[in-house]
Amino acid sequence: MRGLLWLLRKYNYILVFIFLETVAIILLSNHNLYQHSILVNANREITGNLYESIEGAREYLNLRQNNEILVRENARLRNRLERLENSIPDSLSMDFTTGNYFYTPAKIVHSTHFKQFNYLTINKGRKQGVTRDMAVIGEEGIVGIVLESSANFATVLPVINRDFRLSAKIRKSDFTGILQWEGASHLVANLNEIPYHAEPAIGDTIVTSGYSAVFPEGLFVGTIREFALEEGNFYRIYVDLGTDFQRLFYVNVINNFYRKEQVELENNRE
Amino acid sequence: MIRIVARNIIRFFVVILIQVLVLDNVLLGGYLNPYFYILFILLLPFETPRWLLLVAGFLLGISIDLFTNTLGMHTAATVFLAFVRPWVLSLFAPRDGYEPDSFPRIHYYGLSWFAAYAAILTFLHHFVLFYIEVFHFQYFFSTLLRVLLSTILTTSTIILSQYFIFRK
Repeated sequence: MRGLLWLLRKYNYILVFIFLETVAIILLSNHNLYQHSILVNANREITGNLYESIEGAREYLNLRQNNEILVRENARLRNRLERLENSIPDSLSMDFTTGNYFYTPAKIVHSTHFKQFNYLTINKGRKQGVTRDMAVIGEEGIVGIVLESSANFATVLPVINRDFRLSAKIRKSDFTGILQWEGASHLVANLNEIPYHAEPAIGDTIVTSGYSAVFPEGLFVGTIREFALEEGNFYRIYVDLGTDFQRLFYVNVINNFYRKEQVELENNRE
Repeated sequence: MIRIVARNIIRFFVVILIQVLVLDNVLLGGYLNPYFYILFILLLPFETPRWLLLVAGFLLGISIDLFTNTLGMHTAATVFLAFVRPWVLSLFAPRDGYEPDSFPRIHYYGLSWFAAYAAILTFLHHFVLFYIEVFHFQYFFSTLLRVLLSTILTTSTIILSQYFIFRK
């Protein structure tokens, strides 16, 4: 103890140095956008790799559950294939050129779900073609939008973040509203600005509207849990989210080949 | 003692004013930026405790940063400068040490001593500063060139100032 105090007294200036340099770097990072972006990217690579190894260990504990999800998905896809095959007379008439979307599977290496501003980190980045503003979906519904990507990792803004906004609609009646999250529960989001004559019902399906060029149209979001008429003749609808963020391990990133074209066209018009 | 403290405090403000009002407005091509203000750290008395040097470096750096809107950049470089000064001083120490009641200036230790002392510290400061400014090693050699050219310019400004404004 004595020796430690002696050391501290002798080398206290090194502590002062480290402290002041840390303050300087924090100031640098918080007030200079360029340096900030480089630090954040480097940080994402480092923490991404760390989380990936932690997640690797955790994966074993969830193997059974993941198996179940995959089996269920297999069955669903098999059913679809069956239906499609029945509807096509022979392979010559199949058209392979119309796919607008490309799916990249990715694994979640880190996520938060009990905060107000939650984020996910996935193990695919620029090298795998994942860039800003791509849609992310899970097996049971939409997940979020890619916020930033570094070489091998990307940060996703999930539905359960208070900054999240997406246009979604009631599938039955095609009325469109804004999906957002108000921070209460990671299982429930809100659909706002649905006009009063839309006549929603509990249990109605909510899907993406496809207006934003990020998400394709008609992806499952959730079902209506309850709703109330607000002042100004709009409904406030509570949506049971299809995705349970606490049990989410694998996602698909959707690359819309025509997104750039659509955004450019829309910007030109303004 | 009080006089020394007071003179240093006044010098603190004078170097900041010279840097911000005059030198920051002199544009000498993209490669030359004189950062004269570090003279304040160079001229602090030999006996200044190390923690005080660091705090002085921090205050000086952050004052310059506030004026140039680059919060943290000059602070990091100047704190580093204050951190290495004691080692550079011991590197250049005369055989029987620095005399009491003397200061690190041309007046006491001669031009060549002061020039070497100022050049090494200026180089270290500019090295940290310019690499923090570009923040990666992609343009390593063009940044190094900027460091070297600016070091020459800053050192000459500092040496000249010893003959004109901060004589004693």
